[in-house]
Amino acid sequence: MKKVLRFATVVVLLMSFSSCDPEKPMDNLTYSDLFEQTADNIIIPSYAQFQSDLSALRADFDVFDASEVQSLEKLQDQFKATYLSWQSVSAFDFGPAADYSTLLLMNCNSFPTNVSKIEDNIQSGSFDLDVPSNYEAKGLPALDYLLFHTSQIELLTELSDSSRINYISACIVDMQTRVEGVVEAWDSYRAVFVQANGNDRSSSLSLLFNTFLYDYEQVKRNKFALPSGFATQYGIPIAADNSVVEGRFSEMSFELMDANLAALEKVYMGVGYDGVDGVGIYEKLKEYNAQSTVVDGDLASAIQEQFAACREAISLYTMNLSSEIENNNVNLSETSNALQKLVPMIKNDMRSYLSVTVTSTDADGD
Amino acid sequence: MQTGIDFSTDKDQILAGMYAKTSIAPLVVFRIIFGFMMFASTLRFWAKGWIDSLFLQPDHFFHYYGFHWVKPLGEFGMYAVFALLLISSLCIALGLFYRFATVAYFILFTYVELIDITNYLNHYYFISLVAFLMCFLPAHRSLSFDVARNPKIARDEISNWPIFLLKFQLGLVYFFAGVAKLNTDWLLDAMPMSIWLQAKAHWPLVGSFFTEKWVAYGFSWLGCVFDLTVVFFLLTKRFRLPAYVVLVLFHLITGFMFPIGMFPWIMILTTLLFFSPDFHQKLVIFIYSKLNVKVGSSIEYNSLILHGFKRKILTFFIAAYVFFQLLFPFRYLLYPGDLFWTEQGYRFSWRVMLMEKAGTAFFYVTDPETGRKGEVDNSQFLTPTQEKMMATQPDLILQYAQIIAEEVESKGLKNPIVNAEVYVTLNGARSKLFIDPEVNLAELKDHLKHKDWILDR
Repeated sequence: MKKVLRFATVVVLLMSFSSCDPEKPMDNLTYSDLFEQTADNIIIPSYAQFQSDLSALRADFDVFDASEVQSLEKLQDQFKATYLSWQSVSAFDFGPAADYSTLLLMNCNSFPTNVSKIEDNIQSGSFDLDVPSNYEAKGLPALDYLLFHTSQIELLTELSDSSRINYISACIVDMQTRVEGVVEAWDSYRAVFVQANGNDRSSSLSLLFNTFLYDYEQVKRNKFALPSGFATQYGIPIAADNSVVEGRFSEMSFELMDANLAALEKVYMGVGYDGVDGVGIYEKLKEYNAQSTVVDGDLASAIQEQFAACREAISLYTMNLSSEIENNNVNLSETSNALQKLVPMIKNDMRSYLSVTVTSTDADGD
Repeated sequence: MQTGIDFSTDKDQILAGMYAKTSIAPLVVFRIIFGFMMFASTLRFWAKGWIDSLFLQPDHFFHYYGFHWVKPLGEFGMYAVFALLLISSLCIALGLFYRFATVAYFILFTYVELIDITNYLNHYYFISLVAFLMCFLPAHRSLSFDVARNPKIARDEISNWPIFLLKFQLGLVYFFAGVAKLNTDWLLDAMPMSIWLQAKAHWPLVGSFFTEKWVAYGFSWLGCVFDLTVVFFLLTKRFRLPAYVVLVLFHLITGFMFPIGMFPWIMILTTLLFFSPDFHQKLVIFIYSKLNVKVGSSIEYNSLILHGFKRKILTFFIAAYVFFQLLFPFRYLLYPGDLFWTEQGYRFSWRVMLMEKAGTAFFYVTDPETGRKGEVDNSQFLTPTQEKMMATQPDLILQYAQIIAEEVESKGLKNPIVNAEVYVTLNGARSKLFIDPEVNLAELKDHLKHKDWILDR
């Protein structure tokens, strides 16, 4: 009896300190700094920047003069700036942006765009940009087509047609309305986001992690592997097709891809809009002394270095992605490998240390 | 039962013990607890939306070997199955149409578990087994609606064997969970406990303890000792109460720290079975008094004690069940390689919360005619849970490759080559290539023999 009691006492003593506050098992005092930095210095300013770029685009469009090349060039430049600033918000497809009435990602950047659908819409003059079937005929990829698909001279001729002008205007206004909704909603959602602790499906950690991973996988697959011929569609290997790159007509696929990776890297490092390096996932992994299972050593640095390696690989190309694919550049497969190497670091190692669960179902160990 | 060695005295003693008379009260209390726990678990499962996410959302399902033919029933069918599970579990608790309810519950529950192997949990296997045993036990012959309907079936006493079987089954879960922990990772490296505790380092007050290596060792060793010994303490009159207190604490703490759902509660309540008939008798009388019903007096004559040939048959089946349960967890010894790595013979063996394993699986399809090769987007075939489970288990990797091959062939690509580049990390070690990436998985057949395309740990 004594023995058992002693055994019981040891167990109780050793383990009881873990049950002192059963009401709040996941007190995330240490995560709120991450959420605050991400919301206040990354997410909210990035949306504001995208919103102001859209306004500038609208302003340039309002004064657009179809008889002047400079006017078109100004519009084109502002479009490029807007498409680049979109890359900084695409990773935040949760909360207000994922609201059913907004669906920012689908509405702003469904590519490849459907050229014939756009032309049909313009021709008929009656179109409803809210219906899902028009996702592929609107947003930034549609503007990419409408503002870049042919020579400037021909574009100027096209853009003197009022139905075309109306369509472009509708596309810009649609994005403006949605982003405005998101920016306003973040005013109140910010408090929710900063406080949603824990690691279940609706926690901020889980949302942030899952959209981060999803956005990265979109870069890897949709922006790179699919056009380059390294992917399958429902298992069927797809031939390289340079017409499905992002920013096809403005020929800025690599710039967009790099901007997207740079934005993800900033979220990861916790680099704010003001350029100040605050608390990011990197700092959290350092705090946990997380070890990589993919390469030797520390996980936080391994991910940082792999982001750098991916961006380095992209920077070495001399032409745009579309042309590199056409020329069958052998380096494309190396870039593909570099992008692939980051997947297990995020999907397994980072997830494991952040304790973000894959699903909500019960477990009894792996 | 002729073994050639003379076990006769032991055997006779055991047999005499198994067929000795005992109070029905523990069995009846067990029935009520089991019924209500299953009812609550099913409700919880439904409320969490898992019927939809586990049985309706997936486009493809992973099968148990030999159970390829088990398919989900579609929306109406699956909800109907769960409605029937609710009704039958309630019937078990109330002792209403008990025989019919237990058989229905066992079949339906097992059916649901067989639909997709990626949902496998030892807890579910445990429930299937208990439900199976309950089909044969006279647990409705007291404190039940069946007795109210037909007082002739009422009994105060039954043979010992039903209670023996249930205690054996409960004890097995703990004991084998303990045996499974007797490995170098668990005992000498405190793995994966160190990883699990590390992930909770941000907890208030105790968080800093969790990063201490000795705490991880403490948890590992105590968990192992607890699992190995608790059932033996529960069997003794003297140590029963303290052992039970430790058991309750153990389950509360693990339930609090890990996402293991209803399991702690089920174990805490079902292990009450180890308490004395007296204790259960008092419980039964208490329930009667709460219900304002008089305690029924049963008939003296007891038809439930079997004799002669019938008893021999029963003894044979009980012995067969016990031996099977004792031997089956050791089938892994028939396979070469590291059990945790290959998972050949891993399931159905009470290996609970034992390792931290994660994988990343890249699948590639090659068209042999054009030579064109591409990476498969796993999310176009699998749910995140399915993908996660598949990535660390060779038999599921093979099944997935064949799901891809089948899909691709149906779209007109003949004889696709399917390769998989899978990286697995086990207990925090460096990721390693898990299976031979050159093997065309589309060509292989699944079997229970050793899979020689699994690489070494």
